[in-house]
Amino acid sequence: MMFRRILLHLLRGNRVRFIVALLALTSGGAVASALINLDLDVTHKLTQEFRSLGANLVISAPQTASLAVTNQGFLDDSILQRIAQPQFAEVTTAPYLYVIAHASSNSGPSVVVAGTWLDRALQLAPWWKITGTSAIPRDDLSHCLIGRNVADSLHLSPGRQLSLNFADRSESLTIAGIVDAGGSEDNQVFVNLPVAQELAGLSGKIELIQLSVPGSPSEINRISERLRAVLPDLQIRPIRQISQAEGTLLHRIRFLIVSTGILILVLTALCILATMAALAMERRRDVGLMKALGGSIQKVVRLFLAEVGILGTAGGILGYILGMTLSIWMGHRVFGASISPRWEVLPITVALMLLVSLAGALPLRLLGNVRPAVILRGE
Amino acid sequence: MFIRLLRESIIRKLRRNLLTASALLLGMAVATATITVAVDVGDQLAREFRSLGANLLVTPQSDTLPVEIGGVDYRPVSEGAYLQVADLPKLKTIFWRNNILGFTPFLDVPIGLTITNPAGSPTEIRTTLIGTWYRHSVPLADGTSFDTGASITHTWWQIRGQWFAENASQCVVGSSLAASHSIGIGDTLNLSAGGRTETATVTGIVTTGGAEDDAVLCSLSLAQDLAGKPGEFRQLSVSALTKPADALAAKDPNTMTPAEYDRWYCSPYITSIGHQIEQVLPGTQVRAIRRVAETEGRVLARVSLLLWIVTIAALIAASLAVAATSATTVMERRAEVGLMKALGATNFVVGLLFLSEQLLLAIVGGAFGFLAGAVLARELGITVFGVPTSPRLILLPVILVIAILVAAAGSWVPLYRASRFSPAPILRGE
Repeated sequence: MMFRRILLHLLRGNRVRFIVALLALTSGGAVASALINLDLDVTHKLTQEFRSLGANLVISAPQTASLAVTNQGFLDDSILQRIAQPQFAEVTTAPYLYVIAHASSNSGPSVVVAGTWLDRALQLAPWWKITGTSAIPRDDLSHCLIGRNVADSLHLSPGRQLSLNFADRSESLTIAGIVDAGGSEDNQVFVNLPVAQELAGLSGKIELIQLSVPGSPSEINRISERLRAVLPDLQIRPIRQISQAEGTLLHRIRFLIVSTGILILVLTALCILATMAALAMERRRDVGLMKALGGSIQKVVRLFLAEVGILGTAGGILGYILGMTLSIWMGHRVFGASISPRWEVLPITVALMLLVSLAGALPLRLLGNVRPAVILRGE
Repeated sequence: MFIRLLRESIIRKLRRNLLTASALLLGMAVATATITVAVDVGDQLAREFRSLGANLLVTPQSDTLPVEIGGVDYRPVSEGAYLQVADLPKLKTIFWRNNILGFTPFLDVPIGLTITNPAGSPTEIRTTLIGTWYRHSVPLADGTSFDTGASITHTWWQIRGQWFAENASQCVVGSSLAASHSIGIGDTLNLSAGGRTETATVTGIVTTGGAEDDAVLCSLSLAQDLAGKPGEFRQLSVSALTKPADALAAKDPNTMTPAEYDRWYCSPYITSIGHQIEQVLPGTQVRAIRRVAETEGRVLARVSLLLWIVTIAALIAASLAVAATSATTVMERRAEVGLMKALGATNFVVGLLFLSEQLLLAIVGGAFGFLAGAVLARELGITVFGVPTSPRLILLPVILVIAILVAAAGSWVPLYRASRFSPAPILRGE
């Protein structure tokens, strides 16, 4: 009863001191919980970011001496059905069939014609800039996209007709848009798959499938293992340029964020520790007074610990709320996506703040030996 | 008198002052370390991103349309324009020459490959010979030399065996080609193109995950001999350290004001480096490999923004903790304030005494905090990137100002409150 009354009195007694300590604990708790919450989500967000690098796996036939442009054998396009399973739902796929055709006439300049699913190809290559129309469904057989260099060298523009000739076959297409890809795609003409199959006289055939698999390097490995199980006789190879660089970069960035986070956590905790120690030192007078009045030092210490415990818990909870707000805001600001607050961060934050504030009370224990008179004199 | 008071006050309350100073030290160490890392991280990560390989591609300007799939040019040798190897040292004379980390020329030659199996009869297959540099020393105009090649621009290429030597009849074979035609290390290949033939010994099997897996790679000079194009190549991959594009980089250089143009030219944007390469290699077209450049820019911008926000949040938290320590220690001395006032000191003198004490602590704590933070940032740089972050002296005044502001702000509120009370109740200890 008495204990609680003294405690309440203490908490109310010096509001400035209480608020100041609470502020320090809350802001420390906010940074701690925001950092922990962020670390759990940031790798995931960054792997999604790296998907803008495009495909990271390629499926092709084992090499045979064949007529295909890239020297690969052909695949049956029924394979696409086999990949369209729920277990590969997260994978974006686009089939490709390349034909080197003559533009304009049978003796016109050679140009690479890439037959694909135009809607998917655009998804796999978000860095393409397209002038004109880009929305071409995959069953549209009358439109094509042309690379920037093709447009420049053949003087073509959207809306014009382009005829593609291969052997004795010919296709006439309307140019829907011009692709600025900043890569070898600038030299290619993109058509929907059936157009290229008809032009090449290879109905139902494709040359390779590009896949974009989200996730960490180990997840990508798992998906490619599962693909191997479904397609045992095909070659499934990672595009090493992308997959390897992605792995190293993710590792580095995560390591950077984790080590900066730990550094900030430790230093901020020590900083708050100093605040709490200063708060404890202030109690020396109370200790002296209590002792002079015949009270036990344990009681004073208990009182102080209770006060500090309340401070630590309140600071932890407030810090958690503030930290989650901070990390949600950061998610929107930095990644343009929401970072979900996690409940498991709450106990961690509260425990951390309690630990720090209780550790700050340690110097009080040293006061047990001090003679009350000396302290009361204010020395 | 004032100085003696100040000295007495600091020495007598040493323990309490040490506490304030150490809080300041820790808080300012957080600030220094995080700001140093946040400033440096762009440069360090940009270097890491070079493991994605080249981000600029140089091709002849007056060229026929390349028949290019997955990076391999399927055009016959007689078609299209070529670039000169002799011009390459000029790349290291541009304004941002130190940002050019490496460049690799490529010459693709469609060839017939005759494989003589010990058992079977010779068979000829059509494939592509890619002439390039793996590790090549380019002599520069200033007498030094620059080591470059695919080992720098195409770091993900993996070799089993040895890379081909320059000026030797050696080659390496792509892994798919080697597997499907059972070509092994030590075999001799007959390469023929346009009536010329060469023989080359296979020294290794290369895995790239790209079109090179189905091709034969050899030294640039061997491919030039076979193509009959001595000293020439078809395209150049350049790996350059760049700064993420911003509003200025998105502008067309032709419409910029002279001041904007100067700033653009003197910033390592991918477009300005490309422009400078076009200037030293006339007749070329330099294009940014957008897939790499854009992802790099976006990830870099995000990570550094993230780090800045974390830095600012940590700075606020540390400042509040430091201010709280200052406030607590000042509050504890209300009795002293009361005594001074009872003895006739004005609020101004009392405030000045306390503030100068806090100021002194802030300067000492801030300076040591800066040192500690610089050491921590250096260690962090070594652990994360293997390169120490460079300490920035310009941060020292910034940190000192922050420390002084924080300590002053922390002690101002309790001082103000103490000055409003009449001395008697304070001295009575109420």
